[in-house]
Parts: sequence; structure tokens; C-alpha cells
Amino acid sequence: MLPARNVRRLLCLAVMLVCAASGASALAQSHRPDAMLHDGFDGAAAGPATDADASRFLAQATFGPTDADIAHLRAVGYQAWLNEQFAAPQSLEMTYLDWVADTLHEQVGHQNRREAWFLGALGGPDPANNALIHSDQLRQRIAFALSEILVVSDQNAQLAEFPTSIAYYYDILVANAFGNYRTLLEKVTLSPAMGTYLNMRGNQRADPSRNIHPDENYAREINQLFSVGLVMLKADGTPQLDGGGHPIPTYSQATISAFAHVFTGWNWYDCDDNGFDNFTDCGPDYTTGENWLHPMVPYDQPNQPNNGDPSYHDNGTGPNDLHSKQLLAYPGAQAGGVLADGGSAASDLQFALDNIYGHPNVGPFIAKQLIQRLVTSNPSPAYVKRVADVFNANRTSPNQLRAVAQAILLDPEARYGQVYSDKYGKLREPLLALTHFWRAMDARHTCGRDFTQGGLQNHYANQPYRYAGYVTGWGTDDDQYGSGIAQAPMNAFSVFNFFKPSYLPPGEMTANGLVGPEFQLQTESVIANTVNSVEGRAFYFDVAQVCDAGDDFGEVKVNHAKDLALAGSGNGGAADPADRLVDAYSKRFMSGQMSPFMRQTLLAYLNRIDSSWTEGVTDWRLWRIHTALYLVFNSPEYMVQK
Amino acid sequence: MRPDRRKFIRETICAALGGASVYSAFGGMKLLQAAARHDYGFTNYKALVCVFLYGGNDSFNTIVPISGAARTNYQLVRPNLALPTAGLHALNAPASGAGSPGDGSSYGLHASMPELAALFNANHAAIVANVGSLVRPTTKTEYQGGSAVLPPQLFSHADQAAYWQSSPPSNAPVTGWGGRLADLVASANPPDIPILTSLGGQDAFVRGESVAGYVMNSYGPNVIDFPYELSGDDALRSAFDALHAQGQANALERTFGNAMRHSVATATLLQATLGAAGMPNFDGYFAGAGEIGEQLETVVKLIWAANNNVPGYTGLSRQVFFVTGGGYDTHSDQLATQGGLLVELSKALSGFHAALTSVSLADRATAFTASDFGRSLSNNEDGSDHGWASHQFVVGGAVAGKKFYGDNLAGTGSAQMPSLAPSDQNPNDGGYGQMIPTTSVEQYSATLAKWFELSDSDIDLILPNLGNFNTRYLGFV
Repeated sequence: MLPARNVRRLLCLAVMLVCAASGASALAQSHRPDAMLHDGFDGAAAGPATDADASRFLAQATFGPTDADIAHLRAVGYQAWLNEQFAAPQSLEMTYLDWVADTLHEQVGHQNRREAWFLGALGGPDPANNALIHSDQLRQRIAFALSEILVVSDQNAQLAEFPTSIAYYYDILVANAFGNYRTLLEKVTLSPAMGTYLNMRGNQRADPSRNIHPDENYAREINQLFSVGLVMLKADGTPQLDGGGHPIPTYSQATISAFAHVFTGWNWYDCDDNGFDNFTDCGPDYTTGENWLHPMVPYDQPNQPNNGDPSYHDNGTGPNDLHSKQLLAYPGAQAGGVLADGGSAASDLQFALDNIYGHPNVGPFIAKQLIQRLVTSNPSPAYVKRVADVFNANRTSPNQLRAVAQAILLDPEARYGQVYSDKYGKLREPLLALTHFWRAMDARHTCGRDFTQGGLQNHYANQPYRYAGYVTGWGTDDDQYGSGIAQAPMNAFSVFNFFKPSYLPPGEMTANGLVGPEFQLQTESVIANTVNSVEGRAFYFDVAQVCDAGDDFGEVKVNHAKDLALAGSGNGGAADPADRLVDAYSKRFMSGQMSPFMRQTLLAYLNRIDSSWTEGVTDWRLWRIHTALYLVFNSPEYMVQK
Repeated sequence: MRPDRRKFIRETICAALGGASVYSAFGGMKLLQAAARHDYGFTNYKALVCVFLYGGNDSFNTIVPISGAARTNYQLVRPNLALPTAGLHALNAPASGAGSPGDGSSYGLHASMPELAALFNANHAAIVANVGSLVRPTTKTEYQGGSAVLPPQLFSHADQAAYWQSSPPSNAPVTGWGGRLADLVASANPPDIPILTSLGGQDAFVRGESVAGYVMNSYGPNVIDFPYELSGDDALRSAFDALHAQGQANALERTFGNAMRHSVATATLLQATLGAAGMPNFDGYFAGAGEIGEQLETVVKLIWAANNNVPGYTGLSRQVFFVTGGGYDTHSDQLATQGGLLVELSKALSGFHAALTSVSLADRATAFTASDFGRSLSNNEDGSDHGWASHQFVVGGAVAGKKFYGDNLAGTGSAQMPSLAPSDQNPNDGGYGQMIPTTSVEQYSATLAKWFELSDSDIDLILPNLGNFNTRYLGFV
């Protein structure tokens, strides 16, 4: 008799074959990827069992799998890989910007901040010290996901003037990506970038004689977007419903107003020191930008720092203050959510953040969004609950988000949920598709010069790891001139990010109640531009190109020739088919999930290419590489990570 | 293949929040609910065209006093910028009463703008005076006394540009009022033709709650440039199309394939529409009109197509367009810079009207200018600094032209060009020649929305602060 394990394996196989066969006729090429023939009962953490599995995991946990990463993950397994990632040194944007300012003596601008972001996202040698290898992919991926929840954007005019404001903010996300969410929430709240973006900075207690009322922007968004959301949730992230079947609001306008009154009295750390007299006239340090790099401080003591200065914090004791502020109410809320009068700005802030963090919504609200950013847009409620349970079990732990990340990635639904559902997966967002291409194709910065212009220095010669360039790293948000990907880090239109977690693409997905957040960014015009951008990367921007002598900043380019050996070994044509290339691309880019239909379509085209295709290339096989990359990266099967 | 927008909007509401919560920005859910319940069915075609001038155009040197106290003050207060009366193009508005500048002075347009002045005097252009972003009517006393309720970041380009486009003033405009207009009228249009279109880049004005603005180049849609096919056939294109055809195994893949096919179809449709047989050649109307002219010419073509049975481009009743120009932030070298920009603006706006007139569609489209802000009345060495209120133009066959419009501090709805007296004697001047608006962006926009035939309650929905002002509709169209 077969061991029980083997019986399960055979049953599993039988089920999968039935599933695979039911959707396609024997004659037509299946659009369904070949079933993953591996045992799902040993435990999701045991593995990866195949290169394809490894590639799938890395698509969720990094900025795109590379052949080397796949091999390494195969060698060490999921848990060891995760442990390496938890221990990897952090890549911080401010470190890069400080190098640009203090060592290169360049004037730091937003293009440098984007260079820093790409350094973290692409990994590899540090430009200041090539022996230092950036490898904290998972930390960077979580930070990026957090940046799409706790949104700050350089579309804010003031933040746009100070790139370090945003770099400092992003580094908070990086440093706390495996930390504690309550801690993260506090550091975000007190960052000048967030204080500026959502108006908490300089917010002051009410003064009706001057028509001053506390600004409600941060009060609203910290609740609506950063913690509890609009409606009461069950532990699995689905909405609670009242007797009439309607969702239940999490809070009222009065609640928001109460929070607004709490979030008062905070400002730059150096008001009164930086040349401005008082709280309301306090501004950024225009020369140094220094006060963007320090948490905000409270101005809640009369005559501090100068005689005659009032307290700007509403603690319920002033004539126009809000008394006994009712914050979020829920079972177990400290003092029923009522903030007693008489506190300080700091103690009141602690109470408010504890009040928010203690709400039962937070676990499922954040867990679901992190799953959506990494794995799939429509996780099952059970999956959300498993991750939310880990979030909640680690509420006071300094390693809470580390546990959450592990729970997300090692969950069975992450590891093989795609086998059982054709509604699984997420549309890749433009930045992740770009970083994937660059990582997998050995991107380097090339060309560029060292030059001085207007007294300002620029060092872009021989800088393979400064990811610069107008068309590529810097111009990624350009969607007006026919190319560009319409997405740049920390560049969202509004605090609602590039897309809302609840976005329902019209048509089949709306009809089935399936959200597809990333589809909201892929409007008709953006899709066209993205395809043109893919063409640029697939066919051009190659490291072998001769540089233009007048090219100031260079561009990020890839090594298309790395795949020559895969693309053919003879004279091409059907006699020298492109199978190895297609299979390699399936593994590297699509986690081995290329359907037979797509494979056949690619091969039918690529096998026409032969050694007579010499126009414009040094090797005919590059035509196979260019066209294969173009077709793959624009395809629905690639664009949906599953 | 996109479903009926109204059905989609209803389903969006049901699936998303279930109707109870309304705390998203600008009552977005209320907007969607309104869209779901209100059936607009229009029997005519109308188009609104926002012409946004980035940087803050200096109104004081665009609409210039020729005589009266204003002229004296003008020369006194901005000696480095004051334009001589010789060369100005007189505006023949009423000297007093309704439609007059309201300050007893007469005005003319900058020497660069003969065409627009002629259009004004021919009744097809109007001026909306002293308009700007406000939360509610604001007096100088309140403003200088610190008790005014003000839009935040008053002199910041990005913020003010956002408020003009999104209204009401808020740090994080999620949608623009052009987008919210489109949300409400989407159900009255075919689902597969863009009704909210920008020819001048992405910005808040063309973001709706459910309608996403279609961003085009100034001369046509962004098309996919399929790669050169060495084989001389279209095998690569065929492979691309095969991968995007229907039949994917995964719902998200099917949706993406759908989106790709739709993008290609829309670009193809627009290219075909712009090259439609029988379309007149409008080039002559836009000679010398620069990039703004190029964008407006494309708008004219699309409006012509919508009204002339061009295959695939029929059934449209309401469209919103967004065109833009830049370079108006004239802190220095203003006389030369602005002089050049206004040449193109004048030709573009008048060409827009003339082109549509030539095909009997002038009354179907109303173009209106907008800008981050006006500029300071006082000058620096050779330019002006950020201001607040500004004067804007409205152009179209439906416009009751040859008049000045606006509101005043009393809220009685009669235009009041601001005083140009020195700051300490000037009741309109908040300081440094930054004029406090007497007309709000809300009132300006509401008047246009009213022409667009939205209901009063829907206009309140998309312009929530409108109720803060006495006079809802200014009467220029």
C-alpha cells in the first residue's frame, strides 16, 4: 500500500489534471499554465521545489527575480532566504544623498532621490563603495508597499523643493519595514514631510476670534487610510454588516474633529531658532533643509521657548478647547476612547495613537493591503485572517512586521493559491515591471559625463550604479510625450496613492466583485505609453552602444546580449528554434507560468528569425531577444503576477 | 467592450462601500450616488474647453486701463511694467451699468491681442473680473486682520493651480471639477469614446471619480508605435494582438487584454476621427497660434467630428477638454515674455472661435481661461510676483460677450474691476498688489456648469463651496 503521503500526492495530481483539462479542448492550445505538479501538503515553507516556484516567490518578495536569485533561493530554501533578508543591511536614501552632497559636491535634487530609490530597488554594488552590495530586497519591497499606504508625494510643492524631506521620510519606512506598526505610525506622524503633506505641522488649537479651527486633514487620513479605514471589519477583513445589511462606519465626523484637536501644537524642531519668531511664521530651513530631518516637536508650554509664547496644543483646558475628546470607541479601548483634559501634546499624541492602533480594524486593514501589494489583489478572507492574526499576535513586538511579511509569503495561498483560482494574482504596477526588467537584464548606468555647469558639479561618467537618465530613472513619471510609465516613487497624485485598494476595473471584474487596484493607473493613454516604453527597453538602451560624447547624464541600459546562447546555436529558423530562450524567459519573468498558447505564439514568431536578420544588430540572435522581450513584457500573462 | 457607465457606477457603489459612508474626499461617494440616480439625456451637443495658463498670467498687463482713475493709478503703481495706451486694443464694453468694468475706467487689451479684442467687440468673448480661489467672500479687513478663512498656500503655483482645477481648495485634490462634470454626464454619452480629454498633459482637472481623463498629444492620441518589422510583414504585430485577444485563463489577464485592446481601439478611433473624410482643414485659423493653437485646433476637429456623423464618433452630447500653455510666471523680463505668449493666446482663442464659426458650431463650445493666480500689481525690476485674483476670458458663440462679468464684495453680481490705487489706499489690495478676489472660482465654474445643463443640485455637489457665495451664476454664458 502506498504511504499516505504518496496517496495524497496522487490525488492532488489527479485533481490538477482534471482542472487543467476541463478548460481547454484537446486540439486548442491551452491558455492555462501547466499545473504545478508538486505536493502542497508538506507545508508551504518547505521549498521551493522548482525554479518556477522560486521565481514566483521572488516576484512577491523582491523587485523582480533574476537567474542568480532563483538559484540562490533554490539552494537555501524559503526560511533561510527570509532570514538572510531580515539580517541584510538597510539601504537608506539619505546615505546616498549625503554622498552626493558631501563627497561629490553636487547640488542635491529630486533626480538624486530617485537614483537613491532605484539603488535600493535594483540592488547591487553601491556607487560610493562598490564592495558594499545592496541586497535588502524584501525590506525595500515592504517599504515601497508602505509608501503606497502611508502616502507622501513630491507633487506637494513644498516637498518638491526639498528632496531630503522625502528621503528622510522614506528611510523611516525602510528602517521600520520589519518593525512595529505602532512605532512606524508614530514616526510617520511626527515626520515633517507628513506634517507638511497632510497639514499637522503648524496645526493649532481653535481661536474663533481669528477664525482658526484645527485642520482635519491628518485626523481624517490617519484613520481612513493609515489604520482603520471607513467601515468596521471582521477579523478576516470583510465588512461587518448591520441589521439592514449595510456596512458600519468606523467613525463619525465628530471623531475626526476630536482627533484634529489632538493633533495640534507640533512644528519644526527649530522654530524660534531658525530666524522665525513664532509658531505660525515658522518655516523650513531654506539654506540647509536641516529641519526636514528631525521629528516635529511640541509647542505646548506657555512662554516656551520665549516669553509670551502661548501653548498651541488643545489639551482641553483652554477656553476654546474641546473637552474630554471622544476618539475611537471599541471594546477594550482605554477609557472608552475618551482623552482626558490636561495632558501635554506628547502625552495626548500617545493616547491618540494608542487609541487608533488598538482598534480591531488595524490588523485586517493593514494585512489585506500588504497582501495586495505583494501577492494578490483578492485574497481569501481566510488568508487575510491568518495574516491579521500574526499582526495581532505581535502587537507589542519590535519584529511585528517581520512576522507579518513572513506570514504573507509563506502562507499556502501565496505559495500555490494560483493553482486553484483563475481570479488570483495582481496586475504588476509600472515601477515593479520596470525594476524587474532592469534587475533581470543586468541593468547598468552608462554614458554620461563629469562636467561643471553654472558652478555646479555633476559626476556621471563611469558610474554604473548611479541610476540616472532623463528617459529612464528620472523620467519614469512622464506620460505626456508618448512614453514613460506614469509612475515614479513618492510621486502619487494624492494621498490616495496611484490607485485605490478598492478599485474595481469595469467589466468582468466588477461583475464578480474583484478589485484590481493597479488597473486604475493603467488608463488607455498610459497603456499606450507603457508599451512604447517597453519597446525602448526591449530594443534599445543597450550597454554595448557607443556613447554620445555630448550625453551629460547617460541612461540606464541593459545587456541584451546576455541571452545570446539561449536564443540560438546555429542559423536560426525552425531548425534552430528559440525554445530555450522562451523557456528561460518563462522562468525568469513569468515564474514558469507561460501558457502553452503563449509559448506557441512566441515560438511561431521567433522561429521565423534566422541568421539573415542582420540589419541593425551585431548578431542575428539579438532580434529574437528584442522581440521576445517586447512580446513578453507587454503580454497579459506577464503583466498579471500570479 | 465597456458596460453602460451608469450600471458600472451603481455597481461600484454597491461593491465598494455600500452607501453608508460618505467621508471620502469631496463626498466622492455622494457624487457616484448622484450619477447613478440622475439620468441626463441631452438633445444637443456642448463642449467645455478649459485653457489653463500655467505660471500665473499677469492680468494687469493683459487687460489694461486706457482712461480714468485706473489709468492714472496703473502708471503710478507699476512704472516698470506699465504699457503705453498707444497700441492697446480698446474694449467696447458698456461704460457704466451691467457689463461695464464697474470702476468708471475704460480698458483695452495688450497690444499683442488684436484678434481677441475684435472677438470681444463682436460679442463673442467676455471678461470675468477679479476671480480667484476663495473659501468664502473675504474683505481686506478680514484678510489683513487675520480672521479670514482662506485657501491654504495662497501664492504657491502647484497648490493654486490645483484649486482652480479641483475646487474647493484642499491639499490633496483627488478629482478635478472637469472630471466631476464628466462623471455626471458620462451616462449620456457612448461608453467607448473619450469624453474627458486633455491635450496638454495630466492634471487634476481631468481626473474624475469614475471617468479617467484621456491624455492625448496636442495633435493626436498617444499611439503604440509598433516596432519595425524586419520581415516586412506584420507578424510581430499579429503576435502582439494574438496575446491580447480574448481567451486568457485568468480574470485579471482577460481584463488587461481588454484594456490593451481598448487602448489600441481608442487611439485608432481618434486617429481615424482626426483624419475623417470631409473634415475641413482648420490650419489657416491657427497660424502663429503656437502650441495652445495646435491643441485647440485638435479640439475643433473633435468637436466637428462629434457633430458631423463621423463613423465611430457619433452619439456624443457632452465633452470636456483641457488644453494648457506654460511660461506665464513672469518674475522677470515680463514685457518681452508675456508679449510673445499673448500673441499666441490671442490667435489661438480667436482662431478657435473662427474655426467653429466656419462650420456653424460656434455656439456648441465655450472656452474659458484659467491660471494659477494673477500677479502682483506692483512690479519688481522687470517683472511681477505672485498675485491672487486675476481676470479671465470666456470665448464662444453662446457667450454674452462684449461685457465684464464678476461678483463684488456685496455679492450683488455686478462686475467690479479692482482698484489699482497704491496698496494702502486700495480696498481690494491685500498687500503688495495681491488683489483679493471678489469672484470665486466656484462661481466661475458654476456658470459654466450651468451652461452645460447640469442641475442646480448637481452643481452644488461638484462645487461644494458654491453656497458660500450669494450669486451662483454670473451670466456670461
